[in-house]
Amino acid sequence: MRFERIGREPDYSRYMDLKEGWLDRRIFSDADIYEEELYRIFARSWLFVAHESQIPNSGDFLTTHMGEDAVIVARQPDGSIRVMLNSCPHRGNKVCFADAGNTRRFVCNYHGWGFDTAGELKGMHEEYCYDAGDIDYKNHGLKNVAKVGSYKGLVFATFNGDAPSLEAWLGDFRWYLDMILDNEEGGTEFIGGCIKSVMSANWKFGVENFIGDAYHAGWTHDSGCRSMNDGMPFPPIDMQNSYHASVNGHGWEFGTEGVGDLVLLGRPKVMEYYNKIRPKMAERLGEMRSKIFGSVASASIFPNVSFLPGISTFRQWQPKGPMQFELKTWVIVNKNMPDDIKDEVTKGVMQTFGPGGTFEMDDGENWENCTTVNRGVVTRHERLHYRCGIGRQIEHDTLPGIVYRGQYNDANQRGFYQRWLDMMTHDEFGKMPARPEPQLGNVAETRDLPGLFAL
Amino acid sequence: MLDRPLSPPPVEVIVAVTQALHREARLLDNEDFEGWLAMLGEDIGYLLELKSRRFRADRSKPLPLGPGVIFNEDLGRLRLRIDRLKSGYVWAEDPPNFIRRAVSNVEVLATRAENEVQVHSVLVMHRNRIDGTTRLLTAGRTDLWRSEGSAWLLAAREIVLDHAVLPDSNLNAFF
Repeated sequence: MRFERIGREPDYSRYMDLKEGWLDRRIFSDADIYEEELYRIFARSWLFVAHESQIPNSGDFLTTHMGEDAVIVARQPDGSIRVMLNSCPHRGNKVCFADAGNTRRFVCNYHGWGFDTAGELKGMHEEYCYDAGDIDYKNHGLKNVAKVGSYKGLVFATFNGDAPSLEAWLGDFRWYLDMILDNEEGGTEFIGGCIKSVMSANWKFGVENFIGDAYHAGWTHDSGCRSMNDGMPFPPIDMQNSYHASVNGHGWEFGTEGVGDLVLLGRPKVMEYYNKIRPKMAERLGEMRSKIFGSVASASIFPNVSFLPGISTFRQWQPKGPMQFELKTWVIVNKNMPDDIKDEVTKGVMQTFGPGGTFEMDDGENWENCTTVNRGVVTRHERLHYRCGIGRQIEHDTLPGIVYRGQYNDANQRGFYQRWLDMMTHDEFGKMPARPEPQLGNVAETRDLPGLFAL
Repeated sequence: MLDRPLSPPPVEVIVAVTQALHREARLLDNEDFEGWLAMLGEDIGYLLELKSRRFRADRSKPLPLGPGVIFNEDLGRLRLRIDRLKSGYVWAEDPPNFIRRAVSNVEVLATRAENEVQVHSVLVMHRNRIDGTTRLLTAGRTDLWRSEGSAWLLAAREIVLDHAVLPDSNLNAFF
C-alpha cells in the first residue's frame, strides 16, 4: 500500500551533504517537508506503539499515534495484539478518548457505532435505519494496520504492507537493543505511567540528541551534574574506548566503562544491583556488551524512539506539526528486578529525565529555540555543521554497524539523516541501500551468535 | 476515618496558614529559595503527578507506582534542585523566566493532631520564558502544615496538575 502525495518529486539530496557534514536548516521547520515526512517516513516505517507489559490481559488497550494518525493498540482474546485507526469509518470521529483501560467495545460518541477490540463493526444505535445492502459490516470496521510485530517486549506496527519483517528492520541493531531488552532472564516491562509533555520543536531534534549527542551533556547539563555530583562537572570522556554505532538510521553512542549512566541515575542501590548481575550479563550477552551496559550512553531507534540504557528512561517523539512534538516517556525495568530496585529506578528516572528532572529540564528549550530560530527567512538558508569526527570511522572486530571511534561525534546523527534521506528519496523499500550490509545474518537471537560477535 | 467531625481551627490559625501560603508564593516568585526551604519541615514529602485520561467506568486499580509522577521528593532532593538552580550553570534560565504564582480557594481543616492542619488550595502559575512564550499551569494542592514554635512549616504537599499532557517542555518551578 502506498500513501505518497501526488505531484511532489523534490530532490531531497540538496538538503544535506553527509560526506561533507552539513544539513540545510529547512528540514526542521518547512511545512511541505514535514507533510512529506508523514507520508514517506511515518506511514512507511515500523513504529513503536507499546510495550507488551502495558496491555497484559485480553481487552486491555491503550491509545497512541503513528505519525499524526491516532491508533488503538488492543490485546485480543487469543493473546495477539492488534493496532487500528482510532477513527470511526462513518464520519471519522475518534472512537476512544481514554489513554488506556480495559474494554469489550469501542463505541463512537457521534452515532453509537460499536466495534470489538479487533476493530470489527458489531452494531450501532438505531440499526433499523440501514436497509439491506446499505452497509457491509465486514468492510466497515476500524482499519487495522498492515503489520504488527514484537521484539522482546517492544510492540511495533506499520501501515506499510511492503515493509520488511520487523527483525530485518531492526537488523544488526538487535545486537545493541538486547543490552536493554535482554540483559537478564525474564526480559523487561514498563512500570509507573506515561508522562506526556509538549515541546515547540521539530521531532528530529529529540531523536538526534539521543542518537549520538553525548557532546551536549557536559555543557547543557553542567548544572544538573554538579548538583548531583558534589559540585563536580562531568568527567572527561575516553575518546579511545567509546564509540558511535549506526545501523540503518538506528544509533547507539556509548562508552565501555560500564558505570557512567548508572552514576548519573543517582541511585546507589541500582548500581549495586547491576554490578551483582553483571557477571551473568557477561555470560548472557558476552563481555563487551556487559561492559557497554551502564556506561555513558544514549540511543534511538529510527524514526522516533529513544532511550538511555542504564538510566532506564524510554521515550517517543510524536510529531505534531513541523514545529511541535509530544514527548511520551516511560520507565523500562527488568521484570525480575526486586520491587525495591524497580522503585529506586522509577525515582531516579523521575529525578533525572522526567519533565521535572535535573537533566531533562535543560534540554527542551534548546530544541525549541533551535527550531524557531532556524525558521528565520534568511537563517533557514544557512547550513548547519554536522562534521564532528567525520574521519574517525573504524572497523571493529566486535561491534556491528557503521562504527566511529570517540563518543563525541556527529556520526550517528549523520547516519540518521542518511536514512531519512533514503526514505524521502526511494519509493520502494527494496531499493534503499543497507547501511551497512548486515553482518550478523538472519540470526533469530543475538545471544547465540557464533564467533566474533559473541565476544 | 474520622468518627466525629472536628471543630474548625481557630481563626488565628486559618489566617496564619493562609498568610504562609501567600508568603511561600512570593518567596518562590522572587527566587528566594533559601527563604522557601526554611518554611519546609524536615520530613517533608513533596509529590506532583500528571493525570491520566480514563473512562469513568474504569475501575482498574491505580498503577502501583503511580501514573506520571513528576516530583516525589524529600528535603534533601529539594535542596539538590535548589543547589542546581543556584549553581550559575543553568543556561536555560539565564536571563531568568518570569514566574508569578496566584494562590486561591484556600481551605484550612483541623486534623486529629492539635499542631497540624490540612490545607486545600489552588495554584495558578504564569510562566513567561526567555524565548517570550507564556505558559499557564493550574494545579490543586493538598498540604499538611505543622506548627513548630512560632512558625507554620509545610510538612507534606500533594500536587495534582490539571493536565494530562504537560503543556511545556519542562517543569522547573516549584508549586
